[in-house]
Order: sequence, then C-alpha cells, then structure tokens
Amino acid sequence: MRKYLFFLLTLLMIKTVAQNRQILYNFAELPQASLLNPAVKTNYKFHIGIPLLSGISTDIISTGFNLTDVFAKDNRNINDKIALVLNQLKENDIVSINTQVEVLSGGFRINDKMYFNFGFYQEIDAIGNIPVDFFKLMTEGNEPYLNKNFSASQFNYKADALGVLHAGISKEVNDKFSFGARLKIYSSALNMESTNNTGTFNTVEGSNNLLTHYFDTINLTARTSGLVDAETDEYIDDEGAYIGNTFFGSNMGLGVDFGIIYKFSPQLEFSASILDVGFINHTKNVKNTKVEGNFTFEGVDFLFNRDDSANFWDEINNQFKSDLPTTENQDSYISWRPTKMNAALKYSFGERKSRICYDNRPKDFYTDALGVQLYSTFRLSQSQIALTGFYEKVLTKNIQTKFTYTLDKFSSANVGAGLSARMGNFNVYAMLDNILSYRNLSSANHVSLQLGFNLIFN
Amino acid sequence: MDSLKKVALILNLIIITSCAESLDFDQVNDFVLKPVFTAALTYFTVQPFQFFDETGVQENSIEETSEIGIFQNNTITENVVKMVFNAEFKNEFDRDVSIQLDFLNDQDLPVFSFAPIYVESEDLNPEPYEDEIILADNPDIYNAVKIRVRASLENTGTQMNPFDNSEFEFKSSITFFIESEL
Repeated sequence: MRKYLFFLLTLLMIKTVAQNRQILYNFAELPQASLLNPAVKTNYKFHIGIPLLSGISTDIISTGFNLTDVFAKDNRNINDKIALVLNQLKENDIVSINTQVEVLSGGFRINDKMYFNFGFYQEIDAIGNIPVDFFKLMTEGNEPYLNKNFSASQFNYKADALGVLHAGISKEVNDKFSFGARLKIYSSALNMESTNNTGTFNTVEGSNNLLTHYFDTINLTARTSGLVDAETDEYIDDEGAYIGNTFFGSNMGLGVDFGIIYKFSPQLEFSASILDVGFINHTKNVKNTKVEGNFTFEGVDFLFNRDDSANFWDEINNQFKSDLPTTENQDSYISWRPTKMNAALKYSFGERKSRICYDNRPKDFYTDALGVQLYSTFRLSQSQIALTGFYEKVLTKNIQTKFTYTLDKFSSANVGAGLSARMGNFNVYAMLDNILSYRNLSSANHVSLQLGFNLIFN
Repeated sequence: MDSLKKVALILNLIIITSCAESLDFDQVNDFVLKPVFTAALTYFTVQPFQFFDETGVQENSIEETSEIGIFQNNTITENVVKMVFNAEFKNEFDRDVSIQLDFLNDQDLPVFSFAPIYVESEDLNPEPYEDEIILADNPDIYNAVKIRVRASLENTGTQMNPFDNSEFEFKSSITFFIESEL
C-alpha cells in the first residue's frame, strides 16, 4: 500500500502542461529544437549529443494541491490534511508527468539545403484525472456520503513508458520556405490506460430495507501491456525488463512529425509543426479488464420458508457476478500517441549582425525577436491549449536567450527563461519554466526544465 | 563577456533564491485510513400465516439462517475495529414480537448474539435499535459463517388468525469502522 501511495505522490509531485516545451521551440538552432519542429534550420556541418546528457526534459503538473499541502511541518495531523486536500480537489484536476532522456543524438549536413538528424530517447508520459470520489470512498467510506453518486468516470488515465528511435530531415526549399519530417519507431515497455468510463455507485435510504446500494450503468475498461506476464498472470517487477523493452521490444509502433517554416520577410517568420502522429500496436503481455452492468443490493431478504432453506449470501454473490461481470482477455489493441501541434509567429528586429556558417559564408541575423506561440494537444478527451509570448535576445554570437510568458488553463503566471551558450564546439543549454515557482518548489504546482549538452561542428 | 556574466548572474540568482519549504515525508507513517462503510443487512416482512405449520398449529417462533462471508474476508478481519448494527421495525400484530439475531460458527453454535429486540403489539413506530460490537472484545466473532434471525411471538394463550393481513416488518443495516495503516 505504501508503495502505491509513494507512486501516487511521485506522480502528484510531477506537473506539466503535458509536454509543452515552449522555450525550446525554434530556439537557437539547437539540435533538440528539431524534435519540436523538424523544419528547424541549422547552420552547422554536424552535431553529436553527449550520450544520456544531450536532452533531459521533465515537465510535471498537479492541479489542486502540492506537496506543502500534505507534508508541511505544521504540527497538523496528516489525516486532516489529506481530508482537506480531497475536499478541495475538483473532478477536472489532473496529475501529469512527461520525462524524456535522450540516449543518443546526432546529425549531419547532406548538402547546402538538407540536414539529417537521428536519435533515440526514452520517455515516460503519464496523465490522469484524480479520482476524487474513489479516494473519498477509500478514506472516508460511504457512510458520510449517503445519496452521493461516486462516479466511475473519474478513472481516466493514460501512462506510457517507451523508447523512440527516430530519424528526420530538414530541407530548405528556398530562402522563404523550409520543411522537415521525422519518422519515429516506438517501442513500448509499458502502457496503461482507462478512459471513457461511466457509471456511479451510491447508497440511499431504502424502501424494502434501511439502505439500498446502486451500481448504476457501470462500464469500466482498463487496458495494460507490458505490466502483467501473459503466461504467469503475475506483475512484471523486473526493472531491467522494462528498460530492455524500450529498445525494439514486442509492442511496436510508428509515428511521424512534420514541420514548416515560412519567411514572409527577412524579419517575419511563421512556423508550425505536428508531432507524434502515430500509434503503438500492443500485442505482448496484454491484459484487458472490463466491468459492465447494473446491480442493486438491498440486503438479505429472509423469507422464512420452512420448505426451502436458501443460501441467501451465495445467491447475492452469484447475482452480483451475473449482473456486474468482470471479464478479462489478452486481445491486442492499439494506443494512439498524443499528437501535439505548435505554431509560432516571430518578428526579428534590433541590430543586424553576421556570423560565419559551416560553409564559411556570413549569415545575417537580428539580435532581438518577439513573437507568439500556440501549443495544442488532445488528451484524456480534453484539448489542452497554451498561448506563449516570447522575447529572444542574442547577447553575443555564442550566447542566446529566450524569455517566455505562457497562459494555459493551469496557470496565468508562467514565466520561463532559456539560455544556450557555445564555447568552441561545446554547446550547453538550460531552460526553466514557471520560474516563479522556484521561490518555493514545495508549493509548486508546475515544474518544468530542459537541459543538455551537445558538440556542434561548423 | 559582459553579457555572459549577466546571464550567469541571473541564473545564479534564480538558483540561489530558489528554495523548498522543509517537508516531512515521514508523516505518511502516521496516516491511518479510517473509512466508515455502511451496508444493508437483512430485512423481512412476516404475516401471521407464516407462524403456522402444515397441520394448522401456530408455532411461537420461526427462524431463518443464511451463510455470510464477511468474516472470511481478510480486509474485515484485519482492519475492522467496530461494527454497529442498526434495525428498525413495525409491529402490526396483536401481540408482542421479539427478534433475536445470532452469528453462528460452522457448528451452528452462536459466537455472538445481539441483545434481543422486543417490539410491543401494534407498535408502528418503535425506537430504532442500535448495538455495537468491538471486535477486539469479541474475537470469537471471526469464526462466524452464518447469521440466524429468530422471530418469536408473545404467548398470549390464543392463536393468531392465519388469514389476517397484519405484518411485522424488520429492516437492518451494519456499519463497519475500519482503521488501516498504509
């Protein structure tokens, strides 16, 4: 039980507007920026990411509460604090974590117009509504909540652990237009999802007996792959098996990214991308569970029939299993990747300078840029949209910065900053989102950062 | 280089000024789940004819027994600290009725008996009944596999009319008080 609580709290510590990396988008010609828009133009011959360190990204969101609410040293009873948190939580509160670690990354220029890049990263991506009713039922029981509907629809989650092998190409068609595409091969180590559930449980004052319990229009479905061994029907607890399955395991999928950049003028640029248009086919170690039906329980009706002594308890058990059956199967299924869309309009201005590119030709650039970005994804049957205003400043030819202000349904005070610096061929970048939360991380509802190290060769 | 220094200064400021309030994760060891679950238990309605045997002779008590599985459930036996039994009833009979509830073991021997419930004749709104069981004080109850309800009539010396439509109603619920550490 403690293990599950720890897992839950770990999830809750982690908060993100699910994978929106608005600072990295189109920033500083970083190799990792091409993961957000494959059309990103580069001006170097080739690059190599430092293995395991070239791209580390984490983004964590918990709406409704934070660590301080539960674990602050305030001499209050933890039971009271958890009860207070549960009373404050709303049905649409979520927890979400997205973490990516780039294992390998590299790329090279094919010709003046085309750049090829490739890599392999591991990703943990989980998002779920907080099943408030379930937690209330577990912590307080049904007795304080007579007549209340405990909703099964709050079981709404999706979690993936996977490896992604990818290769992409960006092509500069002319001075105005560039496009890029990336092919991704997904290898799922773990998938758990349960969505579109319906039904309620409630206890009301009865007519035939003091109480009547209703399981009404229950339709609960949970699908897992990689979690339960299909042969032994036991949970897989070997961490090595999960890590191994991120690289060409048995549950494979395909996906693509597309991106474009169009320059209206040397100073005005539009860019857009669509990422992770793809799926994973889950065929191995699959376990699907479904509970469906209606059941009403009023207690045991004693009939005092002297000719027929019935076993009422067994009858109720059998009726429950008949009216609300639980079925399991190992049927393969497809899970769709959460498709993301980015779009940005950027206006460059300021001092016009030149830097020497890979072909020893000078390339002009402006020291300042202002713009807006729009991010959108669709998860758990809800769209998530974030609008970002940004300011970029080239401090020197080797140091670039970007500052963002992002509005989304989780926050209206999200200020972020990023820095990319080159020292010779060595590149380091770091980005912090929601900087204001760093005043007290324990009270943060949203923590997000990206950092990495590359070797870039002109 | 001045710019680099400025950026480094800003980042250092963020890192230096960032902080985390001191937290105590060991508090989780003090967390105790204390849910209270209430559930419908038994109910019945009896009429005078049910107290008569096939020869037409009135019996002054009838009983019904059913198996129950709650005490074979580890969640119950390991975590329930108290149970409260509630009952409500209505007596339209022209004589008093007493109800006796017992939990029986697999030898049909009582391992716990509730205090008898007495309902006076034609009392349509008697006080509800409530009794509680502290499980630590009644460990034999864990051996209960059946529940028996016995309804007894006051012996007035006269038989009831088996064709009378008057009823005795009985309704009950049971509430489990659980305490469970993580």
